[in-house]
Amino acid sequence: MTTTPPLLKMLNVESAYGPIRAIRGVSLTVHTGQIATILGSNGAGKTTTLKTISGIIDPRKGSVEFKGENITAMDPSLIVQRGLAHVPEGREVFPLLSIKDNLLMGAYTRADRDGVARDMEAVYGYFPILKERAAQDAGLLSGGQQQMLAISRALMAQPDLILLDEPSLGLSPKLTKEIFEIVVRINRERGTTMLLVEQNANMALNVADYGFVLESGRIVMEDTCAALREKDDIKEFYLGMKEDGARADRRWKKKKTWR
Amino acid sequence: MTVLWDTTALKGQYEVVMPGDTIPEMFWNGVAARGDQLMMREKQFGIWQGWSWKQSGAAVREIAMGLSALDFAPGQCASILASTRLEWVLADLAVLSAGGVSNGIYPTDAAAQVQYLCEDSSTVILFVEDEEQLDKALSARAHLPLLRKIVVIDMDGLSRYSDPMVMGLDALRELGRAHDLAKPGLFDLLRKNRRPEDLAILIYTSGTTGKPKGAMHNHGALVYMCHGYNQVIVQDEHDERMLFLPLCHVAERLGGQYFSIYTGTILNFVENPDTVPENVREIAPTTFTAVPRVWEKFYSAVTIAISESDRLQQVMYRWALGIGYKVSDKVTQGQPVPLWLKACFYIGRWLALDNVRRMIGIHKAKVLVTGAAPISPDLVRWYLALGVPMIEAWGMTESCGAATVMPAHRIKAGLIGPAAPFNEVRLDPVTQELLVRGPNVFMGYLNLPEKTAETIDTDGWLHTGDVGTVDDEGFFRITDRMKDIIITAGGKNITPSEWENELKFSPYVTDAVVIGDRRAYLSVIIMIDLENVEKFAQDHDVPFSNYASLTRAPEVLARIQDEIDAVNKKFARVEQIKQFRLLDTQLTAEDDELTPTMKLKRKFVEQKYSAMIESMYRS
Repeated sequence: MTTTPPLLKMLNVESAYGPIRAIRGVSLTVHTGQIATILGSNGAGKTTTLKTISGIIDPRKGSVEFKGENITAMDPSLIVQRGLAHVPEGREVFPLLSIKDNLLMGAYTRADRDGVARDMEAVYGYFPILKERAAQDAGLLSGGQQQMLAISRALMAQPDLILLDEPSLGLSPKLTKEIFEIVVRINRERGTTMLLVEQNANMALNVADYGFVLESGRIVMEDTCAALREKDDIKEFYLGMKEDGARADRRWKKKKTWR
Repeated sequence: MTVLWDTTALKGQYEVVMPGDTIPEMFWNGVAARGDQLMMREKQFGIWQGWSWKQSGAAVREIAMGLSALDFAPGQCASILASTRLEWVLADLAVLSAGGVSNGIYPTDAAAQVQYLCEDSSTVILFVEDEEQLDKALSARAHLPLLRKIVVIDMDGLSRYSDPMVMGLDALRELGRAHDLAKPGLFDLLRKNRRPEDLAILIYTSGTTGKPKGAMHNHGALVYMCHGYNQVIVQDEHDERMLFLPLCHVAERLGGQYFSIYTGTILNFVENPDTVPENVREIAPTTFTAVPRVWEKFYSAVTIAISESDRLQQVMYRWALGIGYKVSDKVTQGQPVPLWLKACFYIGRWLALDNVRRMIGIHKAKVLVTGAAPISPDLVRWYLALGVPMIEAWGMTESCGAATVMPAHRIKAGLIGPAAPFNEVRLDPVTQELLVRGPNVFMGYLNLPEKTAETIDTDGWLHTGDVGTVDDEGFFRITDRMKDIIITAGGKNITPSEWENELKFSPYVTDAVVIGDRRAYLSVIIMIDLENVEKFAQDHDVPFSNYASLTRAPEVLARIQDEIDAVNKKFARVEQIKQFRLLDTQLTAEDDELTPTMKLKRKFVEQKYSAMIESMYRS
């Protein structure tokens, strides 16, 4: 469906926490300029997948390729320098540093001051509230603002790929919508590729181009988001749409077949 | 514990252990004689709970009287739409005790199928398992004018649902209790109402072409078969059985339920179809009947576990199994087992084989019975090498279960045994078709007198549709279904099931359909075993995402090609399988391609995948 070259490639990656295998052979490809999304229920292995890509977890097996280079189990700081930034689940801003310092932390690996200043302005352009409160401690920001800061901090590393882990976590629907709009804008304006993990399947399927469905550590389905939205299993299990049966209050669930 | 070379413990019991000419009579005699003994076990909230004969009898009586309160008259039909569970047996015995006809419907059947089966059988009361099955009944009921009541076994999630036609099983039992008090003596009249020659149950055969046909069996045949089974697969009140195959199927209905009611063997119910492997280990059945697919699953689980174990364990397993094969070779050839080999075998059991048996859950099994589908001889040999006699039984719905059974003291892998002592079996001299005659042959197909006449000839022989051969000891061998035999363009007769069984022995193949009728060469459509192929891909760094991509991975295709090459070698003298395709969707029992027992339907596959088949014959 897309002709752009693959930017990120995971091949049969297995990661585990001690004896518990969280992902069991995930293979996926994200193309340059795409917004890709990983859907899945709790414990499916979405966060583990992102952590394995950004080097926070070393996989047991398999390989991760970024821009044609093998980055499997590489030190996270080296991966950031190659242009891959991770926005972790739950924001994880530095609460006692000012907003500006938080942003500068994102640019820590960069030497080009002019570029950093330019990006800082760009980020303030996306999120004006950050400029207004630049001198305040990040811990004083609201949840939504912290999420904006976390995304901005990732942008400061001038990445080609941003891994976004549940940006909507704990946010109001309105804020979620705003954040997603900016995510799309960043993608369109800067050409930054995004790999998005989301619980809000409806939202994710609307903004993303391509989707993967993860279940118990394995990809069970992948397709363009437009096609995914039409699949029966996605409708029933991720979008909460089900046809009314012979009786109201249907409780039983169909078996997932993933076709 | 039986050993392969001494099977005296498996000698047939020819005496009647529980009198009774009808199923209800037999059951109620059992209740009187066995009282507080354990009859059934089921797991509730993770704990096994026992049901005594008395308790079961009380429940059956309540349900039967409940049915009577609903004006369910003797001779009318009630259907049960549920998976194998304790209440299935209670409902079945209650229907029969009320003088009714009992019919099972597969829980995987779609609403339209449920409607057809209820219509054809003139069902007036329908038992459904839960709300999922209830929805099928509700969408079908508009077309079922005869249907009076739907009884829901498990009312979870339905407490606020009210419909005059729907009631819970507990409510029915309450109704029955009140009715019993109001009409003393009625129950005894009802349960003695039926005679041996009266219709007892309907078993619908999963028609691979056309609509399912309802095979009729009377009480006499069922009781006759209970007595007959004890002559070939002996069991008693100390035995444990696991019920997990669909009770709508003759294998579990007769060999599991009725046979165990006759002998007093304890019936243990699995929690659900997915927990079978765990439940086998917990229950450790002493007599165990299953279909080849289950035996294949156990085998491949062991194969995978061995490949993941350390070198020492692998060496021990191979050595012990080698000894096991030597023992089973001696036994199957009818030769005595030398003392040194027996000694080695005990060491082998202690080192490895006992653990393998425990891992599967067959460590207490005296005998394993396989039936309902052809099994690969290699698989039988493997179980024999573990030291457990595995006997193959062959029969069909129309013969009310097994018609030939392998004697435990003379096992020949790949054959189906001689005619069971309770019926006659012979080959048709012209067509080589196997014919069966005896009191166990069914009464005919419901509403289909022409079909019945085609199946039972004027001399009372049942035409089974299986063709085969017989050896000098009277052991039969099935070559194939008569209508499945392939004649290639070269004019060679090929029996596809031989190939398919060899292929299914591979851990990577779940089922296969060999094609080649009027074609230049053979080809095959394969359904892969997801779990094992996934593992193969993972171990060999084969990238894949979903099922379809797994079936397209070149490494997987190469692996399957290797399996086919290995099978081709065994058939070097005849034609070879030159092409294959893998089904790229994961099929479930709800799909039309599979029978409820998860076998691929040949005719259906040939039609649905005709494009795929044609692609194998384009050069």
